[in-house]
Amino acid sequence: MLAIRGLRKSFGGRTVLDGFDLSVEPGEFVALLGPNGSGKSTALRCVVGLETPDGGEIDVSGNAAMVFQKIHLVGRRNALDNVCSGALGRLPLHRSLVFGQDVREEAMRCLDRVGLADRALDRCARLSGGQQQRVAIARALCQRANVILADEPVSALDPQAAVQVMELLVDLASEGLAVVAVLHQPELARTYAHRIVEMRTAVAA
Amino acid sequence: MTITVPKRRWPSAAVWAAVAVFLAVHVLAWQATEFSPAALIAGWEGMADFLAESLPPDFSVLGKSLEAAVITLYIGLLGTTFSIPFALVLALLASRATTSAAWAQQAARAVLSFLRSVPDVVFALIFVTAVGLGPFAGVLALVFHNTGVMGKLWAEAMDESDRGPRDALRVTGASGPQIALHAVLPTVLPSLAGLLLYRLDVNVRSSLVLGLVGAGGIGFLINQSIKLFRFDEMVTHILVVLLLVVVVDQASAFVRKRLGA
Repeated sequence: MLAIRGLRKSFGGRTVLDGFDLSVEPGEFVALLGPNGSGKSTALRCVVGLETPDGGEIDVSGNAAMVFQKIHLVGRRNALDNVCSGALGRLPLHRSLVFGQDVREEAMRCLDRVGLADRALDRCARLSGGQQQRVAIARALCQRANVILADEPVSALDPQAAVQVMELLVDLASEGLAVVAVLHQPELARTYAHRIVEMRTAVAA
Repeated sequence: MTITVPKRRWPSAAVWAAVAVFLAVHVLAWQATEFSPAALIAGWEGMADFLAESLPPDFSVLGKSLEAAVITLYIGLLGTTFSIPFALVLALLASRATTSAAWAQQAARAVLSFLRSVPDVVFALIFVTAVGLGPFAGVLALVFHNTGVMGKLWAEAMDESDRGPRDALRVTGASGPQIALHAVLPTVLPSLAGLLLYRLDVNVRSSLVLGLVGAGGIGFLINQSIKLFRFDEMVTHILVVLLLVVVVDQASAFVRKRLGA
């Protein structure tokens, strides 16, 4: 589902990734652990094209979506519109001015999947942090992703909301998605992940 | 153990040199503008005569004055609203949040700079030669100049918008225009509306000056009464202008406060 081989990336002479390998199967939930600067986030950002790798191979069979620590929803828009925007990649420009009924129905199913169908018309800025992160996951589902990359998805959440989001990610993996989550709490990784990958700080080049 | 007090730092030679240049430029400016308090004191009688002629104000022209003030307001209004589509397209092209092609950014910024650097009065003089004296020339002048100013202000607001939602939509495979439509514009809409109201306020005041060069409205009446030495009428017009400016300024400030921008 997701295969990374020999990924290399450096920023201004500082090597962050030096030959990183990772493969994730459908239905698997992998946690990435490691100190700051060990390249966890950079690896995920390379997969979705937010960073350009210096070398190595990335294979994604299907569609990779990303969930961020800072969530990155449009706070002034309601949850439904934010989830609909996950579909933009497959919509031509003339159909993305106003979202059609089919997109809105699909987005409602995604919101329902994360348990927030009743908050569809609430502005995202008025939702709690945990609810916002679940809306962001619904946006990833509306993108029809089969790989979800989560960059510290629960670091900014209170413990209860963190558990809800982690359980949601595990459930999605059990439904056949490949999920990779960068985590800072080893106990969460041990509780929920099927496999833990420890990353070390790359040797200074 | 002894504690050493850090050495006091005096302004460097460069700072003293900057102060000297600053003072020298002011002396030159004083001379070049023929700045002379003595001339002002010596000529006080001229001002006193002027004021004596203009008071009391002639309120018989109040009706005409208010009518013209409404025209002035309309010039400012149309000049602002008709520049919205042009300013929006140019701002979207000029902002690095919505346009990645450097050449398109540069081209849009060049157009905005040009429109901004030509004063609206100059545009008005040009359009008067095309469509004749009257408010229409004023509206056209404001549309051109305001597109340049508002386009730049809007592009800056877009530049400062949060990068996160843009990145999030880029990951979903959204194109540049889709990201502009669904991440940038919804985020910056209150700022754009606030800047629009600020420009409306400025444009209503500019349209007064445009009236002086023949673009109609109350500025035209002020110009007329000066030429006819009817300073008492002029004072009435100026009081109406004061009212108009205060009303528009307060209304714009009120709405901007409500928008939180």
